[in-house]
Amino acid sequence: MENKKIFSWAMIALVLMLSLTYACKKDDPIPPEPDVKPATPYNFVVPKGFPTILNIPEDNPMTVEGVKLGRYLFYDGRLSGRDDPDSLMSCATCHLQSSAFEIGKNHPKYPDGHPYGLTGIYTPHYPLPLFNLIWNSEGYLWNGFISKDNHNLGIPSYGIPAEPQYHLTNIESLVWMGVVAKHEMHGTIEMTENMIRSIEMYPPLFEAAFGTKEINIDRISKSIAQFIRTIISADSKFDKVIRGEANFTQSEQRGWVLFTTEPGADCFHCHGAPGNPLMTTNLFYNNAKDTIFNDPRDRYGVTKNPRDHGAYKSTTLRNIELTGPYMHDGRFKTLDEVINFYSEGLVYSEYAHPLMHKLDEPYGHGADLNPLQKADLKAFLLTLTDHTLLTNPDYSNPF
Amino acid sequence: MTNLFFNRRFTINLSIILGLLILVTSSCCKDPEPDPEPDKNTGKIHLDFDFLVDGNPLEYDTLMYVNAAGNHYLVYEVQYFVTQVTIYQKGGKVKVLDGWEKEHYIDTNIPSTMSWDVYDDLEEGNYDSLSFRFGFIDADNQSFMFVNPPENAMVWPEYSGGGYHYMKIDGKWVAPSGNFRGFAFHIGRGQVYDSNNNPISFIDNSYYVTLDKSNFVVAKGKYTNLIIRMHVDQWFTSPKVYDHNVWGGDIMQNQDAMAVGVENGWNVFELVQP
Repeated sequence: MENKKIFSWAMIALVLMLSLTYACKKDDPIPPEPDVKPATPYNFVVPKGFPTILNIPEDNPMTVEGVKLGRYLFYDGRLSGRDDPDSLMSCATCHLQSSAFEIGKNHPKYPDGHPYGLTGIYTPHYPLPLFNLIWNSEGYLWNGFISKDNHNLGIPSYGIPAEPQYHLTNIESLVWMGVVAKHEMHGTIEMTENMIRSIEMYPPLFEAAFGTKEINIDRISKSIAQFIRTIISADSKFDKVIRGEANFTQSEQRGWVLFTTEPGADCFHCHGAPGNPLMTTNLFYNNAKDTIFNDPRDRYGVTKNPRDHGAYKSTTLRNIELTGPYMHDGRFKTLDEVINFYSEGLVYSEYAHPLMHKLDEPYGHGADLNPLQKADLKAFLLTLTDHTLLTNPDYSNPF
Repeated sequence: MTNLFFNRRFTINLSIILGLLILVTSSCCKDPEPDPEPDKNTGKIHLDFDFLVDGNPLEYDTLMYVNAAGNHYLVYEVQYFVTQVTIYQKGGKVKVLDGWEKEHYIDTNIPSTMSWDVYDDLEEGNYDSLSFRFGFIDADNQSFMFVNPPENAMVWPEYSGGGYHYMKIDGKWVAPSGNFRGFAFHIGRGQVYDSNNNPISFIDNSYYVTLDKSNFVVAKGKYTNLIIRMHVDQWFTSPKVYDHNVWGGDIMQNQDAMAVGVENGWNVFELVQP
């Protein structure tokens, strides 16, 4: 009988334990693997006045360890899947910090500003700078092909299967695409994965970032994307003026007025103002530079909407001094050429965006600026150069 | 006897177990129940926004319209703000719809902006009319109040008065040369310039739109669907004929042109119950 009492109370205890376990299980955190410290959430600080909506995918939260790993990979030429000196290529090969993460002028390898891949094939378009991308939700590349609205997977012509890690939606996509693109690394996913696996320093970095030492293209892409999202330009003279820490010169002030007025140069509709400090809407416009549109990679190539013939992303004007050559095809080598284009070089087509409204009388072919106005506008544009971005050690080559 | 005793003990134990089970389950497993809704006599409204030209649904990017001035034109996109949306009940009661958002942004490129589930609970009954402000009153039109897209792209530069565009209609018309020419029919704060063409003061161009022939009913526990309709052609029609060849492609720094738009705005909007 005593045994039965014990049995009964044991049953009560057992059922209670099971009940507690069942009832509270869903709220319990998944215990970390032994000896692996969970990654530390990255504290991204939004500068005053900048957007609070951040383009961080749910499956790739930013962590200190992920950013650290991504920074190494961003600068590691062995990302190409090769290690002989002539075949090294990484993101930093083209995107130099000293040029606001663009090719820039006087690039040691691409002096004309037009990069080519490891097998000599030129990129279809000139590169875009890699900063402030965390605030772009309107699609990446000149035509916005990489976008949350792109539900395709893989690239069959490159032998990339339609698998979830080969999405075409965000910065992560640009990494694996760079690995296989013929005009970039022209490698294979396997080559890159195997190369990174073979480098002694990486398995512990992957473990710190992702919990295990497994190395694959998905994790490579995610970590580089995390690093790129940390690259911020928000400390130019323009920013300091807006924050009340500096003043424009008279010429810069006149240029600023030209920038933000319709009878002036009317840049702000597409390229921002203090209330839109990214200095771009990140949207797509035909800016009246052509009459014939046969580039399969324009915005029309993505949307198939006739209004998008000849339309390309409005690039940020931050650091514009450093990010030439300009336009998707690099047709303008200097900032002066760009200003001259918008002043008197616009050409008529029925596809020009309505905001390009100076294509006819009384304007003619643009804003029709006089030499002083051009100089003032340029003076203002130069205030958008952010030396903090160019020298920030957190963005520099860690090797 | 032993069996009987054991069965009684077992029954007691079982009761304890079940009782504890219920206690544990209710304390750990359930999410907190929301407070029961008080028995309110309220309903809600859902607003859609649409666009007509010459009485027909707007077709974008198509050169098929002729305005009162004889300009052949097309419409590329429309973006605008409504604020201080207010409904009026028979008997004089007034309700400003500001429970969650005080303004609503409408953008023909972003379908999600073209409908609005209004947060406010509204007393059931018959309503006489709906009004809103086209744009913002000056006190509400503060620079930097929108930091995120798409609203932040409506910024109205400080030099021209600051704040935000009330509306952008972008399109093209056929200029006398026979070429398309873009028009940016943009309305926001106006400017008064001195003799050196420097702005010395600014003008609040926002205005109330009262749709007083808009009887509608809010039913208890239901959504009432309403459409705020913009007749785009009316911006260019009456009381003043708006001629793109006169005003040109850009009017942000031209208060006279914006004033025509504001005057013509009196019958641009309509409230429709689908």
